[in-house]
Amino acid sequence: MSVKYIPVQWNNNKYIYDAVMLLGVGLFLYVFLYAAPGLLSHERPINPQVHNARAFGACAFVMLSVILCIGPLARLDPRFLPLLYNRRHFGVMTVFVAITHAGYIIDWYFAFSSSNKYEALLFANTSYGQLAGFPFEIFGIFALFTLIVLAATSHDFWMKFLSPPVWKRIHYLIYPAYLSVVAHVSFGILQDQQNHTFTVIFIGGAAAVGVLHLMAALHERRVDQAIKADAVDWVPVCDVAQMREGFARIKLLANGERVAVYLNEGKLSAISNACAHQNGPLGEGRIINCLVTCPWHGFQYDVTSGRSPAPFTEMVPTYNLKTDGAMVLLDPRANPPGTFVEPVPAPGREAKL
Amino acid sequence: MSDDNKPFFVGYLPVPQALRGLLLAICVLLVSGFAGFGLALGVAQDDPGEGAFRFDYGRQTVTGVIELTPYPLLRVTQGNERIKPGHTLMLAGGGKNNVDSRAIPLEGQLAQASGVILERGDLDMMQLRGGRGGLDAAEGAAPQMEVDQLGRWKLAGEICDGKCLAGAMRPGRGLAHKACANLCLLGGVPPVFVSTRPVEGSQFLLITGPDGERLPEKAYDYVAQFISLEGDVERRGDLLVLRMDPDTLEVLK
Repeated sequence: MSVKYIPVQWNNNKYIYDAVMLLGVGLFLYVFLYAAPGLLSHERPINPQVHNARAFGACAFVMLSVILCIGPLARLDPRFLPLLYNRRHFGVMTVFVAITHAGYIIDWYFAFSSSNKYEALLFANTSYGQLAGFPFEIFGIFALFTLIVLAATSHDFWMKFLSPPVWKRIHYLIYPAYLSVVAHVSFGILQDQQNHTFTVIFIGGAAAVGVLHLMAALHERRVDQAIKADAVDWVPVCDVAQMREGFARIKLLANGERVAVYLNEGKLSAISNACAHQNGPLGEGRIINCLVTCPWHGFQYDVTSGRSPAPFTEMVPTYNLKTDGAMVLLDPRANPPGTFVEPVPAPGREAKL
Repeated sequence: MSDDNKPFFVGYLPVPQALRGLLLAICVLLVSGFAGFGLALGVAQDDPGEGAFRFDYGRQTVTGVIELTPYPLLRVTQGNERIKPGHTLMLAGGGKNNVDSRAIPLEGQLAQASGVILERGDLDMMQLRGGRGGLDAAEGAAPQMEVDQLGRWKLAGEICDGKCLAGAMRPGRGLAHKACANLCLLGGVPPVFVSTRPVEGSQFLLITGPDGERLPEKAYDYVAQFISLEGDVERRGDLLVLRMDPDTLEVLK
């Protein structure tokens, strides 16, 4: 959790996360740049600038593909959630690698003329009316600018400033950006390759991203169908016997909101399922030290009021509950964020003191 | 839905024991995977061919007659050990620039050219030194240079810029290089048609507009693509010049 907006709040897991990513990226670039040339039996080497541009471009693509696989993997299996925890650092790292790729390209292919190299990038090829020879650079430009915007707004300050839903919508631009990278590569180097190793890895990477997202979407759809409620005054959630101490049942309301109903110390409480930080699924977290803990970044809330413990100020809406026999019923009208609601005793599940 | 038997990761707390093995395996897989992809992609790069700047030859200085096709050529009359009389050199300036301003006043005259050679097989070009040291009038009368007409040809191949193709960029052809090639051509660097089948023994032909003007604007959309076209071919020394007919341009794939 954050008290104030300093650039990064570090902990051991973040150090380890970044170290592993840096090691992987460093090894990719080292092997591509320094080990591969010795194995290529070219009579004369590829220009170092082109070789560097390719190394950084390929690395950025692999990084982006890995990043985009993390989200659906974590949806499909919560054991992958630790990969989600510090993903934004990985994203920012990717932007630096992508900028380096663009720098080599601009300073090599678009330099050395009497024209400005940035202007040349836009006018040197304007064959927009054809597929073969289409100016694929434009896809790269779009992707790069999008990634820069996402990296620049990745900090929690921007999330607070823009509000999580707006911030999240902006960050969904990662998908058009990735599609743009796919188009950039497909219309560019892919059409020139004689050796198809790159083609296989590229298609494999893009397909992995696509298939994992499809699997996660189908999984979500199945879950949604199971937890979806009709538009009624009091929504049945489940039988008290189905609840586990310290855990939640999630209900999808008719208005699209999700509610996490927790059993805590033998009493029932309900808060919004959307974490105030990044809209993480609170109902998939658990209660630690009497506080609902988000599975994404560990943000915490009092289950009775939806308030983060002092000095933190984040709040989520709460909901009213009642029981009818063993059935837990939920009032679908949300209380304002931070509203205290007296917990409802869970019949037959009273806490043993 | 969470399960109380499943470990729960909270970033600022120690990693649950049950997750450590999996996370360690992911770390190893990720790092070795990145190294593996780096190797696989690094060694999958195609050979850019033999073209290169021949700095190893040292600066070359030869004398010949300047011709404009309109791209400046030097029909060598007094060569050296490497560049023999009768050879025709395409001329270019530094970077993606031409030498029109220096060559046009010398058209049809004897001139001394000095610079570095770019060479790919039997295609070569001289990148002139800057200023008059690179190209200057030479004493003596210019001999008459012959131009042999070889008739109309239909050819398949690729339009490239002669400098990158000759080795200024490695690789210097193909669709990924199209924008760079176009920028060279816009700068007046001599364009070259790479024919799939040799024409009178040569795979490379300097390519111009139908009336000997610069490459027509229409052709820029076809640069770096596999195309067919028709045009009149002429021989200037040992260099073939193709005066293309833009109406015959056709993409083959």
